Amino acid sequence: MSGRTRLALCAWAATLMTACALLPLVSPATWIVQVALLLAVQSAVGAAARRVPLARPLTVAAQVLVTLVLLTLVFARQQAPAGLVPGPEAFRHLAGLVRQGAEDVGRYTTPAPLTDGIRLLLVAGVLLIGLIVDALAVTLRSAATAGLPLLALYSVAAGLADGGAGWLWFLLAAAGYLMLLLAEGRDRLSQWGRVFTGAVRSPRGERGSAVAPVRTGRRIGVVALGVALVVPLALPGMRHGLLDPSRTGAGHGDGGTISAVNPLVSLRDSLNVDEDRTVLTLRTDTRDTSDLYVRIVSLDDFDGTTWKPSQRHIVAVPDTLPAPAGLSADVPRTEITTTISAADWYAQDWLPMPYPPSGVRIRGSWRYEPVGMTLVGDHGQTTRGLTYQVRSLQVLPTTEQLATAPDPAPALVREYTKVPRTLPADVAATARRVTEGAGNHYEQAVKLQNWFAFDGGFQYDTQVEVGTGPQAISRFLRDKRGFCVHFSFAMAAMARTLGIPARVAVGFAPGTVQGDGTIAVGLKDAHAWPELYFEGVGWTRFEPTPTRGTTPSYTRSEEPGAPLPDPAVPSAQASTAPSAAPSATAGCPPELRRLQECPTPSAQPVAGPSDDGPRPFTIAAAALAALVVLLLPLSPLLWRRRVRSVRLGAHGRGERDAVPHTLAVWQELTNTAWDFGIRPEESQTPRQAAARLVRLGRLDPVAAASVHRVAGAVEQALYAPRPRPVAGLAADVRRVTEGLRSTASRGTRLRALLAPRSATRLTWAFAARWAAVRSRVAALRPVLRKPSAHGPSRPEG
Amino acid sequence: MTTYDDGADLTDLTATVERVRASVEKVIEGKPEAVRLALTVLLAEGHLLIEDVPGVGKTMLAKALARSVDCSVRRIQFTPDLLPSDITGVSVWDQQRRDFEFKPGAVFAQIVIGDEINRASPKTQSALLESMEERQVTIDGQTYELPSPFMVVATQNPVEMEGTYPLPEAQRDRFMARVSIGYPHPEAELRMLDVHGGVSPLDGLRPVAHAHEVVKLIEAVRGVHVAEPVRRYAVDLVGATRSHPDLRLGASPRATLHLLRAAKAAAALGGRDYALPDDVQALAVPVLAHRLLPTAQAQLNRRTAEQVVQEIVQQTPVPAAPQQAGGLGLGGRMAQSGRRSRGL
Repeated sequence: MSGRTRLALCAWAATLMTACALLPLVSPATWIVQVALLLAVQSAVGAAARRVPLARPLTVAAQVLVTLVLLTLVFARQQAPAGLVPGPEAFRHLAGLVRQGAEDVGRYTTPAPLTDGIRLLLVAGVLLIGLIVDALAVTLRSAATAGLPLLALYSVAAGLADGGAGWLWFLLAAAGYLMLLLAEGRDRLSQWGRVFTGAVRSPRGERGSAVAPVRTGRRIGVVALGVALVVPLALPGMRHGLLDPSRTGAGHGDGGTISAVNPLVSLRDSLNVDEDRTVLTLRTDTRDTSDLYVRIVSLDDFDGTTWKPSQRHIVAVPDTLPAPAGLSADVPRTEITTTISAADWYAQDWLPMPYPPSGVRIRGSWRYEPVGMTLVGDHGQTTRGLTYQVRSLQVLPTTEQLATAPDPAPALVREYTKVPRTLPADVAATARRVTEGAGNHYEQAVKLQNWFAFDGGFQYDTQVEVGTGPQAISRFLRDKRGFCVHFSFAMAAMARTLGIPARVAVGFAPGTVQGDGTIAVGLKDAHAWPELYFEGVGWTRFEPTPTRGTTPSYTRSEEPGAPLPDPAVPSAQASTAPSAAPSATAGCPPELRRLQECPTPSAQPVAGPSDDGPRPFTIAAAALAALVVLLLPLSPLLWRRRVRSVRLGAHGRGERDAVPHTLAVWQELTNTAWDFGIRPEESQTPRQAAARLVRLGRLDPVAAASVHRVAGAVEQALYAPRPRPVAGLAADVRRVTEGLRSTASRGTRLRALLAPRSATRLTWAFAARWAAVRSRVAALRPVLRKPSAHGPSRPEG
Repeated sequence: MTTYDDGADLTDLTATVERVRASVEKVIEGKPEAVRLALTVLLAEGHLLIEDVPGVGKTMLAKALARSVDCSVRRIQFTPDLLPSDITGVSVWDQQRRDFEFKPGAVFAQIVIGDEINRASPKTQSALLESMEERQVTIDGQTYELPSPFMVVATQNPVEMEGTYPLPEAQRDRFMARVSIGYPHPEAELRMLDVHGGVSPLDGLRPVAHAHEVVKLIEAVRGVHVAEPVRRYAVDLVGATRSHPDLRLGASPRATLHLLRAAKAAAALGGRDYALPDDVQALAVPVLAHRLLPTAQAQLNRRTAEQVVQEIVQQTPVPAAPQQAGGLGLGGRMAQSGRRSRGL
């Protein structure tokens, strides 16, 4: 096998091995077979083109062409003439598939189903990477740089995958790349003669210590891979390491934190799925299941942008969980037992449980986080396919208990009413305005909840992005469109500004009761809600999201004593909502209003851009990138213009300035001639160069005289004892340029404008600098290198 | 008006030279390059070797040049029996004064025409060595200065080799330039028949410049500025002949000196007070070629010294000003190419 063929094979294998990292993202994995075949055809075309041999750009062009044909054959056969030739129709179809693929990628969580769009994205992406790798490693013989596209491919896969056997994919990808490097090294060595694959024997018959370079390379590669895999396990990291202060004494692994995956990322995806898959199946001994929220985790760290779980100490799971914080004995409660079965495909690090749990019976490696009262999987333990039993309390406080709740402990208040300085002032102002007239924290909380759920004119919309930046809540309050994340975040943040300890719980709203008495909780039940703390009751659920979940009984207006808006009277708060329709909703009961099933006179207008419209920075960055992409092809033109204006521009009038100016003008003249196809000759004197320029450029007498005038000035500048400034040289050059342009063909003119040949000087200048740097380094090398002990000049023995 | 440092006037120079040139061209028609080269050598204080087949006007050019300048002229017909003393002079015993009296030879003139110089024996040819280089003659321990200006214009026939003695290298090296006149253009030849049919054209020639004028012109030429890059260029060109694979013998340092002096004269003739690489290039073949010895292989390949010099001129990069090296439009990679071509 020739060196190039081996290299091409290795490039194919390396791309394929790196592409394996994408396998966990999509199910089923049949696409990889298709990719392997298509990639093989692409590589074979490259190998054939190199054997012909074609010029390098032609080789790549042939591969691109064949790749297009292959993609057409596989994905747009119906739309292409003869099923092969990619025409406009085929391209439209492919573009449609790409769009669909992009939507699918945004819609599904991993592992995503293998839709046509996703399949095209995968196949085309890997083929593109394969083409670049083949071109770099084999056609251009630079295997080292082929690591970049491979790294890009691996990074995409690693970035999307949610853990799992990441080390295996890394090993595969790295081994592929190393194989490519080894093949190239072997090929390069073989140009010096035969590559010895075994250890050499010395003339005395002893086995020599020298090992063949290829074998050494393999060993180094294997050792490097091993080190890359093993060392990170032993090294302390920023988190999850040996030095992690939150780590508990017993056990090991990443039990110290519970912030591995942001649950909010998948929440919106869950809400937007087309097909509602059952996540959990619940069987409980209580009849009232409307309050059976299943909580996964609580987010108590608010940084102004988002809520996230704090890092907490975790401990072994006790048999009986301690009583929830702040719950006093006089609050009515019932203990319920719920058996929960998680779906086979549902892998969650936190254990979904009703709140507050009092005991858990579960198999597997779990640890307990006491503050949030959550269970966290240890050693990669997830909920996948688990069935477990949870005892929990249904706490039913009276409104009076909540209204008369004493102030909580200052430490708790401090921790849970913390808001960053960056939180816009209008959040607190709105909170105050909405809760105007409320006598205590409970009334404030209810007013806030009702404002969001009933009276504020908010619309439930899962298409709105989660939103980033300190302005996200502010935007939401203005636009009044969002889903549970927005409502819970906003209410919790506003409650904190009012001094009520608040956090956000993430989990599932009550599911649907099935015929057999079980409760099915689906993906679309994924939910987030605020929990507010009342001393004596503990963390209490509120429900500000319209159309989702159930309003807690202790906040309903039917409860006596609660100063809630009377359904019969037009709401006073309605005036705060500019687009609300108080008159229409006035006669509608609050629960129906919460579900947004009241008749409305007009659809809720979209007030300006959505919550997550692109931020100014993003727009600026995108505009900048577009500008750069546009300007890139124009860069030779712009560079040439700049250089011309500098050379022909203003200059001093003194004799000292005459020489540089004249030489700059001359350089501009010869470069302009070069742009028009008249290459400068190095062994020509200025007047010879001028005569040649006049001859080849077919210049008219006026332009010819200008050329000779400039050449004369250059002669003076270079060789005269006292060069005198010559006026009008820039005008001469412009005249010559005009002359050259008038005799040149349109193609030549266009090329001189857009792709001036004289831009080669930039490359030359760069090459000269590079050579200078290299020679400097080479000069330093003997100083740095130790004298060899086996130098030929040393006598033996 | 351009003036030189020593006060000589450039316009005077060109006017004088123009008169001489016009006068010579009355005789030698259609050969302006040969005439110009002869004048260049005169102003550069060199000696001229005219080499061509018989009958093309070698002697005529030498004589026309001599007659156009009002100076002493001697003509020596070199023959195999010519003795050195015929050229340099001889000391004769004067019985009346009872002392040796020096009778100057033919070399004691301002323009010496050596016709068919290769017909004399090497011994006689060598008699010219001292006078050509040092402008003096030493006889019997007595040194006699030659007049100024002093120029030897020798002719030789390169075809007819029987009974000739090729000029030794040392002799050839003392000639600043070699010129071939070549056959005239048919039109010029026809005109020559009309004009020169009856009388010798030399008869009508009258001196158009005085010897002291020529001396002044020579002084002016000495003041022509040669920039460092041009000097380096001349050195590069000559140096390239020494390492050229087709040459057995390259040009001497004297050749470099002659090349530069000739370039100065050419610049002055062109009305400039500074020499250009163009001047050096134009004079490279006439000044260098006759000093070079091609290798046997090159001769077998019918490569002449002229071809080799032309090749060297084409390959040697033209110098740029020091501060602009690598940046001049003549070629951004000059320095690099220069190294490459010098390495050949």
